[in-house]
Amino acid sequence: MANYFGVFFGLIVASAVLMGLVAYVPSLFLPTYVKIVLFIISLALDAMAFTSRYYAYLISPMLKQRKKHLSLSNENPYMLSQSGDAILRKSGEDFIATVYISVPLYRSATEMEDDEKLDFSQQISRLVGLSKEPVRYTTELYVMNKDSYIQKLRERITMTENDEAELQAKDAPKSDLDRTRGKLAMWRNMLDSISKGFSFELSTYVTVSAKGSKEYEASSLAQQKAKEMMSGIGSVFGVPPSIITGQDLLRFVEPEYLLPISTVTEQINKNIQEQVI
Amino acid sequence: MDETKVVFLLFSLMVVLFGFLALHALGKGVLYYIGVLFLLITVLFILAMNWVDAKLFSSITSILGVTFQPAKDYLINKQQNAVIKEVNGIFYATGYVTANLFSYTFKAESAPEDDEEKMIAAPELWERIVMNISFPFKFHVLASGLDVQNIRDELEGKRSYQEFQLSRAMQNNSSEVVITDIRRKMSTIQAKIDRISQGEKPIATLMYLETTAIGVSEKAALDTLDAQVNQLRLSFSSMDVETTRIIGRELYSLFNFNFSLPTEFKELSTMFDQQS
Repeated sequence: MANYFGVFFGLIVASAVLMGLVAYVPSLFLPTYVKIVLFIISLALDAMAFTSRYYAYLISPMLKQRKKHLSLSNENPYMLSQSGDAILRKSGEDFIATVYISVPLYRSATEMEDDEKLDFSQQISRLVGLSKEPVRYTTELYVMNKDSYIQKLRERITMTENDEAELQAKDAPKSDLDRTRGKLAMWRNMLDSISKGFSFELSTYVTVSAKGSKEYEASSLAQQKAKEMMSGIGSVFGVPPSIITGQDLLRFVEPEYLLPISTVTEQINKNIQEQVI
Repeated sequence: MDETKVVFLLFSLMVVLFGFLALHALGKGVLYYIGVLFLLITVLFILAMNWVDAKLFSSITSILGVTFQPAKDYLINKQQNAVIKEVNGIFYATGYVTANLFSYTFKAESAPEDDEEKMIAAPELWERIVMNISFPFKFHVLASGLDVQNIRDELEGKRSYQEFQLSRAMQNNSSEVVITDIRRKMSTIQAKIDRISQGEKPIATLMYLETTAIGVSEKAALDTLDAQVNQLRLSFSSMDVETTRIIGRELYSLFNFNFSLPTEFKELSTMFDQQS
C-alpha cells in the first residue's frame, strides 16, 4: 500500500485537469455533450482518487485488466529461505523475511491455583509487551496429521483384500478364509474409528519479520530479532523456545496443513456415506 | 480519522467544489441537472467510503461479481469475507474475525484490584472455549511497542486540557456532575501516566481470530466457514469480546500477515481503523 500517494496524486490531477477543461474551454471548441462526459469522468476519477487511500492495490489491476476476476499477483505468496528457517517475500525492491518461533507451553488452567492463574495472565501481558517492533503471538488449534497412519491402514486393507481374493480363487479351507475376513473386518473397523473424527493439537508460536535489501540480509535480521524474542520468552515463561524450520513452517502458512488432506478426505467420504444411508 | 485520510478527503471534496463552479459550463438545460445529480452522487460516495468503506466496497464487488487473486492459488470471494484455496479438489476457505480481548488481560502488567478476578478467570475461560471448538482456528495478537515519551507527552497534554476544563467549570459555577466527570477523566489519565512512570510499556495491539473450513465445492467451504465463524463468535462471547467479521481490505492485509508482518508500527496503524 506504499504507492497509494502516487495513485492518489495521479488520479486527483487527472480529475482536476478534466474539470478545468469543462469549466474554462469555450463551448465553441468543446461541445456541451462532450463536456458532460468529461465532467462525469472527472467525478469518477475523483471518487477513485479518494478510494485509493485504502484500495490502491486494486485500482491499477482494475483499470488494466477490466474483467471480473482480477489478478493482483500470479506469484507464490512466499518462498522458503535457503537455510529453511524463514519464509521470504518480495516487497517492492526489498525482501521481508519472517521467522516462526515455537513456544512450548504445556500448562493447563485446570491444574493451577488462583494465584498461579493470575501469574499466568501477567506472564502473557509481559510476553505481549516484549518487543518495540510489530510481533505476532498466535495460538493455533489444528487437526492432527493422521495421513501416514491412514495410508498404512488402507494399504493393509488392500493387501488383505488381495489375500482374500487369492484364497477364494484357490478354494482354500473355510477357516483360512474366515481368518482373512476377520482380519479385513478389523482393519476396516480401525480405519472407521480413526477417521470418525478429527484429533486436535494446540500450539503457540511467535512471528517476527525483518526487511532487507537482499535475501540473506532480511533473513539474518529476522533471525537476530527472533533470538532477542526467544531470550525474552525464555525469561518470561522459563521454557526453551525454538525456531521452526522446514516442513513444520508450512503448518503456519498453508491452510491445507491445518487440515491434512487424506484425514479430511476420509472425513468427507464418511459424511457423504452417512448422508446417503 | 488519520491525517492522510483528512488530506485525501479535503482534496477529493475540493474537486467536487470545483465541479459545482464548472456547472455553468453545462448550460441551463437537462445537462445541468445531470451534472448536479452526478456531483451529489460523488459527494455521497466519498462520504460513505470515508465511514463505511469496507461494507460499501464489498457490496460493489458483490453486485458486480468481482473476485480477486491475491497470490497464486488463492482467491478472495466477491463478498470479500473469505480467502479460498483449492488443493486436489478440496476447497479451503479462511475467514477472519476481530476479537479484542479484555484490555486488562493483556495491557496491564500490574492489574488493579477489581480486574484481578477477571485475570484469574481468563485462563480457564480460554481453555473452556478451546475445548468446545471442534475445527481449526488461530488466535492472533499482533503487538507493537509505542514510543514511551510520545505517549507520555500526549497524556500530559490531555491532562492539561482537562485541568483547563476543570478551572473553567469551577469559575462558571458548573454543576457538581460536570465537575465530577472532569475529575474522573483526569484521574484516568493520571493513572495511565503513573503506570508509564512505574515502567510499564505502552503497546498497541490488534487481536483477531482466523478459521479455516473445508468443502468439496467453493460454496460448501464458504457455508461451513460461515457456521464456524458464528460458532467462534458465540464461544468468545463468554469472554466479553466484541467480534466482527472482517471484510474487504483488512481481510487482504490479514491474509498478507500470514506470510510477512509490517516491520514498523506506522505501517500497521494505517492498515486498520474501522473493523479493528
